[in-house]
Amino acid sequence: MNNSDRRVVVTGLGLCCALGDNVSECWNNAVNGITGIKEINTFDTEGCYAKLGAESHIPSKELSGEDYDRSSLLCIKAAGEALSDAGYEITEENSDRIGVIIGNCVGGAASIDVYYTDEMKNGGGKSSDILKMTASAIANNVAKHFGMNGVTANIVNACAAGTISLSYACDLIRAGKADAFAAGGSDSFTSLAFAGFHALHALDENPCSPFNNSHGITLGEGAGVLIIESYEHAAARGAKIYCEILGSGVSSDAHHITAPRPDGEGQMLAINRAIKKSGLEPKDIDYINAHGTGTAKNDEAEFLSLHTIFGENNHLSVSSTKSMTGHCLGAAGSIEAVLTVKSVCENVVPPTIGYTEENLETLKEKAGNIDFVPNKKHEKTINYAASNSFAFGGNNASVVFAKEPHKIPDNTNNERIFVTGIGEIIGKNRIEISSDDYKEHGIKMAFWRKLDRFSQLQLVGGMRALRDAGITVDDNNSADIGIIIGTANGPLTEIVNFQKNVIENGTASGSAFSFPNTVYNAAGGYFSIFAGIKGYNVTNANGNQAGLQSLCYAADVLRNGDESIMVAAGVDECTDVTEFLSGRLGLTDKGVVLGEGSVSLILETEKSANARSAKKYAELKGWSCAHKSVEFGSIAGSESALEKAILGACENAGISTADIDIVSGFANGDKELDELEKNVFAKLFGEKCRFINVREEVGEAGAAAAAEQAAVLAKTLNEGNNGTYALAVSVGSGGQYSAVVLKKVG
Amino acid sequence: MTNEEICAKIKAMLVENLRIPEDELENDSELFGDDIGLDSIDSIEIIAGIDNLFGVQMTGAARENFQSINTLAKFVEEHL
Repeated sequence: MNNSDRRVVVTGLGLCCALGDNVSECWNNAVNGITGIKEINTFDTEGCYAKLGAESHIPSKELSGEDYDRSSLLCIKAAGEALSDAGYEITEENSDRIGVIIGNCVGGAASIDVYYTDEMKNGGGKSSDILKMTASAIANNVAKHFGMNGVTANIVNACAAGTISLSYACDLIRAGKADAFAAGGSDSFTSLAFAGFHALHALDENPCSPFNNSHGITLGEGAGVLIIESYEHAAARGAKIYCEILGSGVSSDAHHITAPRPDGEGQMLAINRAIKKSGLEPKDIDYINAHGTGTAKNDEAEFLSLHTIFGENNHLSVSSTKSMTGHCLGAAGSIEAVLTVKSVCENVVPPTIGYTEENLETLKEKAGNIDFVPNKKHEKTINYAASNSFAFGGNNASVVFAKEPHKIPDNTNNERIFVTGIGEIIGKNRIEISSDDYKEHGIKMAFWRKLDRFSQLQLVGGMRALRDAGITVDDNNSADIGIIIGTANGPLTEIVNFQKNVIENGTASGSAFSFPNTVYNAAGGYFSIFAGIKGYNVTNANGNQAGLQSLCYAADVLRNGDESIMVAAGVDECTDVTEFLSGRLGLTDKGVVLGEGSVSLILETEKSANARSAKKYAELKGWSCAHKSVEFGSIAGSESALEKAILGACENAGISTADIDIVSGFANGDKELDELEKNVFAKLFGEKCRFINVREEVGEAGAAAAAEQAAVLAKTLNEGNNGTYALAVSVGSGGQYSAVVLKKVG
Repeated sequence: MTNEEICAKIKAMLVENLRIPEDELENDSELFGDDIGLDSIDSIEIIAGIDNLFGVQMTGAARENFQSINTLAKFVEEHL
């Protein structure tokens, strides 16, 4: 079966936000133009010029029984409704075929606030709050709650995350790597996001009214989860089917870290990709749930993009449900996806609210051929609808839903994939980055100084990889190159410092300078801006193994025919903040030496590599991800997933474990982790196998160390007679594993 | 507060808050030029920084006041 033959359908919906506690309440309020925007309760807004938000009224304790960060709890609530709606029974037999892919922006910022508030008062920060800080925990927490053991990912591309998560989940189902996903997004209402947008003067003091007043955003919180399945799987279990998901598109502006390109080029690339991959034309689309944030810059760019693409379409409706839900950041795309699915099923377009009589007159003059659905719902037949999401870092995504099955074009690219470039900046403890490191790539101080350490590491590692591969990014190839970045903890230092300032000096004192760096995808954003990369651009926070999962993800993007060159990277930082928190968790007492860095590998299709006579370090022959959900903060009991990831990567490569000559694992000095690895390796690999432990050299550098495992193996295979096949496997907290098989070239 | 002291405080704030390398920043360096390359987000931070340091409001102040440490210091002196 071709990937394009595999239909992806929506079988369950779950929603929880300021509009209501479930899909039915939210939908009824959305179509009736009832807003969820009110005075903020979560934190103090003293001194702030804006005081409105769209918070869910449900206390964290009532969302689920666990002691997780609110982002996880909101997501569990929505996922529970979605699974129940889908009638999806998770059993021991089917649990590894349903995964969890969640979009998120601020991670555990609410828990960072709690921890440092306690810490700054009396040094009483609780260790349990440390584990809640990273976005890496969210998908695992959801998986653990419901006993799902399929692949997990946390797509942390800020405000586009909730749409990209759906896109990735669909691609994995089409590739046959899962039967189903709980896919969506989640974010809680935090002083971090509020203080940041406040500092940027991007908040509207009144309820936002996108495409109308465009005075700024109103923040919200919530979670939206969709159960998406292969049609065969849904049909076999007799599931009700809401609609089809057709194509999706992901792109990068390569323009500015917070502002969209005014000409809409990147947005249009994502929308056009989604429509083309759906086998449709712009004239087919009936409704678009717009990104529509309410900032002047977004609304102007999106207005231009929509009018440019849909100039010939005289039946298009466009609305922004953010006028009622608020901007729920990483959850926005998923909440809007749920509402869009309902639109397709019910043939109703929810409105954008907030238009006065005067506004309606202005709208008539500027709307052109697009129906902007002011104030009141419109009833019409909706066969095809799209949902747009755009983000800080210049990330854009769009996904298309259809009432009926529709044949999509087959873009699968089965060419061989090679590692054609490697860029490393990695070492034990804190590594030195000098001005020579950035000046050698022509990076000016004016650009460099804006970056936090996390972004600086990625920029140097990424540029070194492009240079090593001999790739010059220009207008001809910029959209054919994509980026996948994996991280365990993201820009934690910048986030913590931003938050500490807010705790100390109040919500009104957020730093406009550092806020753009607090989003996990800033590193990928800066890298794409400097390098000029305009294709796929995703950051996945998923424990240390995310640095290897980035290779798996990037290879899937190449297979999918979306790009011909991918930068797959792992990045994590070592600073006074991460050292302090690791110490509090007892990691360093266990004998783990910390490290930091960024390692980027260039993955390239054979045709592209041959066309430019690229050197080939190794062939990426097989890749696989597996998960056995155990409590975040531990890996005990997840051995079966390690074995599965290794066997899966070998099977994908068409070999057996007996063919592997070199193995690089994840041992880092932590006895529990080292023993688990040792036992499984002893079972699977023969005595002749050579083992390389990169962490002896670079320390536990998180996702950077995981990517370094692949980099070292690619170089080792390339240097003389070191064997034919090499395997790298790495682990993330909570039991997620990724493995890749590399083959010597020639 | 002397002009020299005001300049020193503004410089320390720019180094700390906007990560400008100290050795590349003189009192007459063009802040929004190619070398240092400040932009609109940085100007928000400068306004907040000046307010914190001196209690002087620069919101809405003319662009020429933001040219260099010297022009910022002059504005502060006139509004202290």
